[in-house]
Amino acid sequence: MTTRRSFLTQTIGTSAVVSLGAAVPEFLLQAGVAASQPNDETILVMVQLSGGNDGLNTVAPFTQNAYRKARPTLAVQSSDALKIDSSYGFHPAAQGLSRLLEENRLSIIQGVGYANPNRSHFESMDIWHTCRRKTAVRTDGWLGRYLEANQSGQALDLPAIHLGHEKQPLALSSQSIRVPSVKSLDRFRLKDQSKKLSEAVTRIGGTTSSGDDLLGFVQSSTGSALSASQQIEAASGNYKPGITYPDSGLAQKLKTVAQLIDSGLKTRIYYVTLDGFDTHSRQAPAHAALLRELSGALESFVTDLNEHGHGDRVLTMSFSEFGRRLKENASEGTDHGAAAPVFLAGNRVAPGLIGKHPSLTDLQDGDVKFHTNFRQVYATILDKWLGVESAPILGGKFASVPALQS
Amino acid sequence: MPEDIGAIDPNWAWSTFKPSTEQPWNRRLAAHLCRRAGFGATSRELNDLVKQSPAEIAHAFVENAKQASQRDPETDSLATAMLATGNSQNLAAWWLHRMLNSPWSGGEAASTSPLLEKLTLFWHGHFATGAEKVDDAEMMFTQNQLLRHHALGNFGAMTQEISRDPAMLIYLDSTTNRKAHPNENYAREVMELFCLGEGNYTEGDIQELARCFSGWEVRRKKFRFNKYQHDTGVKTILGKSGKFGGEEGVNVVLNQKALPRFIARKLIRFFVFDEPAAPEQLVEPLARLLRQSELRIGPVVERILASNLFYSQSTVGRKVRSPVELGIGLLRCLHGSTNLELVARGLEEIGQAVFYPPNVKGWDGGRTWINTSTLLGRSNLIGQLLRHETTRFAGNNLEMLAQQNGVSASDKLVAWLDEQLLAVPFDGTARAGLIDVVETATGNKSQRIAELIHTMSTVPQFHLA
Repeated sequence: MTTRRSFLTQTIGTSAVVSLGAAVPEFLLQAGVAASQPNDETILVMVQLSGGNDGLNTVAPFTQNAYRKARPTLAVQSSDALKIDSSYGFHPAAQGLSRLLEENRLSIIQGVGYANPNRSHFESMDIWHTCRRKTAVRTDGWLGRYLEANQSGQALDLPAIHLGHEKQPLALSSQSIRVPSVKSLDRFRLKDQSKKLSEAVTRIGGTTSSGDDLLGFVQSSTGSALSASQQIEAASGNYKPGITYPDSGLAQKLKTVAQLIDSGLKTRIYYVTLDGFDTHSRQAPAHAALLRELSGALESFVTDLNEHGHGDRVLTMSFSEFGRRLKENASEGTDHGAAAPVFLAGNRVAPGLIGKHPSLTDLQDGDVKFHTNFRQVYATILDKWLGVESAPILGGKFASVPALQS
Repeated sequence: MPEDIGAIDPNWAWSTFKPSTEQPWNRRLAAHLCRRAGFGATSRELNDLVKQSPAEIAHAFVENAKQASQRDPETDSLATAMLATGNSQNLAAWWLHRMLNSPWSGGEAASTSPLLEKLTLFWHGHFATGAEKVDDAEMMFTQNQLLRHHALGNFGAMTQEISRDPAMLIYLDSTTNRKAHPNENYAREVMELFCLGEGNYTEGDIQELARCFSGWEVRRKKFRFNKYQHDTGVKTILGKSGKFGGEEGVNVVLNQKALPRFIARKLIRFFVFDEPAAPEQLVEPLARLLRQSELRIGPVVERILASNLFYSQSTVGRKVRSPVELGIGLLRCLHGSTNLELVARGLEEIGQAVFYPPNVKGWDGGRTWINTSTLLGRSNLIGQLLRHETTRFAGNNLEMLAQQNGVSASDKLVAWLDEQLLAVPFDGTARAGLIDVVETATGNKSQRIAELIHTMSTVPQFHLA
């Protein structure tokens, strides 16, 4: 944990601390104190699987005839499946998920979806993001509403960060809080060619004493920004992941998230996506690669967080806008479906399968039916993990699912 | 707070500012005017402006802007070139070019004015329309010209035209406004965000107004009225009933008493101070002026820019610079030029991509511009602009700029930059610190001045305008 002294040393250099003596500017001191407080708030990391992940081949019902019959070329064979129990198993590419489960760090919530499923990517994703149907006004998302409900007096640090090149997910939108979309960690580094900029700004910016609200706000924000930059600079210079992350896009994003968490940012929501799950044709190799990327990245991330002592306070959730049709199509792929499993990863999940695998014989328009509303998963996270009342955020009270340790 | 805004006498506030020995008309105050009314001014422009009175200048600014707003937009060859690429991001560079190169002096030759561009930016945030959804640079350009044409003119005429603007219709889903399923999106925003503000209408009013717009469509990038999809029945909006079409429906909204107050309040926030919200007694005189001038914007802007309140302690340094004001402002004040596509991308990084407002509410402004990532981004962007290979100052470099203005000595240079760039002057200790920066920096003279400006613009005080 960063002490105030070491923070100041990092920020403005040892000599500056000595020479400034007691005259360390107030605005920087405040930021320093804030940065040195123990940080034990829970964090949520969202991993969005865009395109519609094939849940039936992620958690495969390998013993069921209906499954093997519907998927003559794609079914996961009983001999290949990474067994969860005697009836269900992970796709063989999902070794990381299997190992997380063995470590009791993975919860598999089955049959998650919503009534009258929409099979448009955009529409269904919007429903997951906003908890609202098309007929309603959808200017904000469930996480955006959480951020608004959870606003503290000082909105200094970044309440949420979206990491990636794609458009910012609607889930993070709100009326009053802007969430930065960050393409790389560079956004959090002061490009200080002379190596003196930060020190000079600190010295000069703090000398105008003022009771002014707006100036005071910019001063303390600047203090936070310089401190974040220094912390991240230090973290990236010395950051040693507890594990070697795979060389995949998702793994590198999650590594960055781990680094940001470890740097002491007070951000509580991180959002990343993995695209490509729309496997209409020749699904087998593509889906295997995606599951390998997902499970490898998740496993490394959870392991790394534990190495750095953050394992107990970070929960990672992965979801997709829908699952895929039970029956494979003529192109050795699958079409848009409905219900699918949601994964929660972290030290404090209730491990294992939660809820039944949806029936393969009781279908709706060829798709397995949901039995757990996605908003129940959100409610569980909001009420029990982030510690806010879920009903106003979700537009109603939803029963939680037993996916977290009580 | 230097004074309680609630206690300000409205008569005093909007009366014409007359310089006095306590508050003389000087380069610093003129720089304040140019920062707010546009994107700053060069040192030479400030020298010209201090020879006139603030009231004369406000009048001239508004007149120049009006004249420029009536020029034929078709003759803009740079816009044509940018449009040929079909990319709205290139269009952003075109607009930044206008902001950067509009002269304060006006005159026959000037086809644009800084105030005109500033107001167009204001209306772009007000009638916010995002290029991502519209996905057509030409339509975004057409809308931009519409906003520019009406920027100082009649608000009612502008609202009528924007209601038929293809980019707006697409952005707010009016193209699917069928008789059987009127889309309420545009009708809602006309009342909530464009004209009245929340609390001045009911959900029922929105549904009825939406019926008026049924049959309004876009075909081949043009507005088209489809009479087969228009609901010809009687509508009741805000207490008025009739077989209203879209134009009549908008007129009902435009005649509401809440409208002039809503627009006046927003103009005060844009030109005067971010916070607190202006009290009713300060809004009312401007709302009255807007009503009396039949919703013309020019007179209200002129009144604001010439007022006691505008030059008072309650106003100077009481706004957070927007990203555009920050980036374009710095270049403009220092007679700079650079690759403006680079600037456009940089501004996007720090939260203001022109033509890409975050949502239909536009940019919230004020404190929402500032967070950890935007502050670091601001500093990094300015560092990049100052040192980029395509950047020129005074046609050459920073050393030349300093020489031309007779401020080669460090103390003079710091004082000169402070006067031009800062709303509230640095104190002696801060200035000494800045002099130390330029004297101890490494590299040639231009590089050392770049380090100085980079430091100045990373200091918290710089973000206030």
